[in-house]
Amino acid sequence: MIKTPGDVKTYKLDLKRALANKFLGATLDAFASAYPQSRANAFSGIDFDCLAAEIARGKDDSIPKIEEMLEEFTARAKEAGAVVHFARTAFEANSIIASIAEENGVKRIVKSKSMTAEETFLNAHLERAGYVVSETDLGEWIIQLRGEGPSHMVMPAIHLSRRDVAELFTKVTGQEMDPDDIGAMVEVARNELRRKFLEADMGISGANFAIAQNGAIGLVTNEGNGRLVTTLPRVHVALVGVDKLVPDVTSAMRILSALPRNATGQLISNYVTWITGSVECKSAPGSRKIMHIVFLDNGRLALAKDPIFSQALRCIRCGGCANVCPIYKLVGGHNYGHVYIGAIGLILTYFYHGRENARAIVKNCLNCRACKSVCPAGIDLPRLIKEVHRAILEVEGPKPLKNVLLKRTLENRRLFHFLLRSGSLAQAPVVEGRFLRHLPLFFTEEHRFRRLPALAKVPLRDQWEKINPRIENPRLRVALFGGCLTDFVYPEQGQALLDACRGYDVRFEYPMEQSCCGLPALMAGEKETARLVAIQNLKAVDPAQFDYVITLCASCGSHLKDYADLLADEPLLGVKAAQLQDKVIDFSSFMTKVLRVDPGEFRSAGGGKTAYHAPCHLCRGQGVTKEPRELLSLAGVEYVRTKEEEVCCGFGGSFSLDFPEISAELLKRKLDNVADCGATALVTDCPGCVLQLKGGMEQRGGKVEVKHIAEMIAERRK
Amino acid sequence: MAKEDSTAQFAERARSVQTVVAEAKDLAAVFEYAADITVKQGGDTLAAPGIQGKERDRLLEVCRAKGIELICGELRETAGRISTGLTGADWGIAQTGTLVMDSKSEDIRLASMLCETHVAFIKKSRIAPDAGTIEKELSKMMKASHGYLAFISGASRTADIERVLTIGVHGPRELHVLIIGEDGQ
Ligand code: SF4
Ligand code: SF4
Repeated sequence: MIKTPGDVKTYKLDLKRALANKFLGATLDAFASAYPQSRANAFSGIDFDCLAAEIARGKDDSIPKIEEMLEEFTARAKEAGAVVHFARTAFEANSIIASIAEENGVKRIVKSKSMTAEETFLNAHLERAGYVVSETDLGEWIIQLRGEGPSHMVMPAIHLSRRDVAELFTKVTGQEMDPDDIGAMVEVARNELRRKFLEADMGISGANFAIAQNGAIGLVTNEGNGRLVTTLPRVHVALVGVDKLVPDVTSAMRILSALPRNATGQLISNYVTWITGSVECKSAPGSRKIMHIVFLDNGRLALAKDPIFSQALRCIRCGGCANVCPIYKLVGGHNYGHVYIGAIGLILTYFYHGRENARAIVKNCLNCRACKSVCPAGIDLPRLIKEVHRAILEVEGPKPLKNVLLKRTLENRRLFHFLLRSGSLAQAPVVEGRFLRHLPLFFTEEHRFRRLPALAKVPLRDQWEKINPRIENPRLRVALFGGCLTDFVYPEQGQALLDACRGYDVRFEYPMEQSCCGLPALMAGEKETARLVAIQNLKAVDPAQFDYVITLCASCGSHLKDYADLLADEPLLGVKAAQLQDKVIDFSSFMTKVLRVDPGEFRSAGGGKTAYHAPCHLCRGQGVTKEPRELLSLAGVEYVRTKEEEVCCGFGGSFSLDFPEISAELLKRKLDNVADCGATALVTDCPGCVLQLKGGMEQRGGKVEVKHIAEMIAERRK
Repeated sequence: MAKEDSTAQFAERARSVQTVVAEAKDLAAVFEYAADITVKQGGDTLAAPGIQGKERDRLLEVCRAKGIELICGELRETAGRISTGLTGADWGIAQTGTLVMDSKSEDIRLASMLCETHVAFIKKSRIAPDAGTIEKELSKMMKASHGYLAFISGASRTADIERVLTIGVHGPRELHVLIIGEDGQ
């Protein structure tokens, strides 16, 4: 039986164990390194974003019509000789299937892979009722023999080594297996399972598609076990989530064009099987297969009506969101989901398997958006994860102290800034250069993976009047949105902006009523606070008064753009939020596209190689990828590409405080990659990433200088 | 896309998933090929439930000459001992190297699933550039009540043990596709 801890403390022990598992780390790392390229190859010649948008649109059109599609499907499938059932709950589905088995005098059952059957714990139900159930997908069979759940939706046994499998098969066959002879092990499975296929009375499959138009179900497999399961036994039962209904063949083909490409980088899976009704089956009475299709609701119909979560039903179960998740890569599926794993798993667990199972895992997300960027159904996974987190906090109450404090301080800018200023004074005795000498009280040993910066002596807002040259008759009027980190920790980045733009006739302003962008509140599940802060910022920075609103913080920038969603229903402010979205710009885009800086403005080259870290909220959050590299090259910087440049550095705001073990490991890999490419400097365009990378570099005593890209550009100006 | 391009792409894509692709002049050449491969692999049976009438007689002759037993029906009875399965394919899809096989008949299904080596033949004129081009035909085949439509791309494979690609876990260990040119029949 699958166990997922309901409290963070136990969960963290599991995480620690997983992080210490060398094999798991290496195998998932190898997979994660190979996946992007094979995926890219598979999609070559196809516009992925366009395809994803089409799939999303198709699903959004059909999700509200699930019940109609079900009716049409049922009529067509009946005509073709199938019996169609509808189960409202998991237990109902299992019971229906058990009674089909009973009615038909079934003893032995073979199964092909079905996440829906995993969802309902069908095997356990059938075994309890006395049936012998055998999984036939190799990976599923392996984990069934081990009594585990899948650790990946497409590759269920990816967490196991050849040694684990050899040991298991030695036990099963009584013959010594050689772990290095994978071919021989596969042969064992072929022989053992072939026998089971021939003896079985009933085959159970899932379905990737149920086509309303013609009553056909579609099955996608590589091994071909799905074909045997649906051919040899006299009874076939397909267990299908109602979200698998599609209106027509066109929709099914569209999804099929994305599913294997995104799942395993294959153009198509080896076997795709379309079954309509009761097919010929010579071992059945009248040579017609006894065919039952059981549709599972289990909350899906209600989910379909939810304004936010209905998106989750678009999922085509490709597993892509796990493949690219930096946390999945470290800890594996057994620690990153319950039955469903990966980003979509964090969400579905709450709905299909309950709060207890979702409570801890749902906090374990960096909001790095890697999952969202590869989802072929265009699901806004990080957002839904936060919404689940929020829902659990709301339901469970009272809220954690962190949330209460966050809410109190952020909702009152004066208090918040007063606290930050006082903090700067109070920390004085423990400051050492730009870092804190000790970690503050509530930190533990595990937080020691990076040094924390000291708050600046004078925040940017208090220096602003002095340092800002106030250009008369400017060409452009630009508001600077500081964000907490630039303002109170790294004001030198603001200075660098002014220096970098010297001579371009830009008048910068720093609207003093601006506050935290509100993203930390949203990340903590405090949506109302986030909304209030957003309103406050919109009042402080009227986008109509400026040509651009620049921010040096990728997270602030991406979140400011999201105000349009957050405040969409707000009268009047909705318009301003939309205007703001059009005016927010990052440093590199501003320099290259607006000011069009000229290489002649920069001192000739010198210094060593420079590496670049792409902040999640810039490259994926705002789709800015070319500009920073372009700017570096314009400024004559010798930029060197590092491995996994676009993988999260592990900061994730307060994530790094909540899950320091994960944050530390991601940071370590990031800095190792930088060290490997021989860079002497590392630039990025987010003060959050700077905090993480600089603190980590300092802690490990590394020599690479970490700075904001604005600082490097300013230094290079003539 | 021109027919030749589709055929070339089909062959390239099918090969990339471990399919053996060859040209055959006509059905007679296909029979020779299937019988030869059976002998070469040390097999002794060939299941070809879809081959009927005069063609069947011709195939029977070929098999006899090579000392192979021809199985034409009731494949369940011989489930454990099919060396080669020989079937036609209705369509080919160039973009993915896929064979589309109407598999309503159980024997056709068993011949292509339970054999050690699957030999399929397809007419060049039936190779479409992509699934979209033949969507109507696909729909029709699915709609036929009691339909079982198979897309087959390569031999049965798994990567479930340490992601090492291993061929032949459940279905055939080898897939051979013979493309019959325009002048063949
Ligand atoms: S946002 Fe990042 S950390 Fe969170 S689930 Fe997606 S990929 Fe994983
Ligand atoms: S959420 Fe998207 S990426 Fe994840 S499994 Fe579903 S379809 Fe694939």
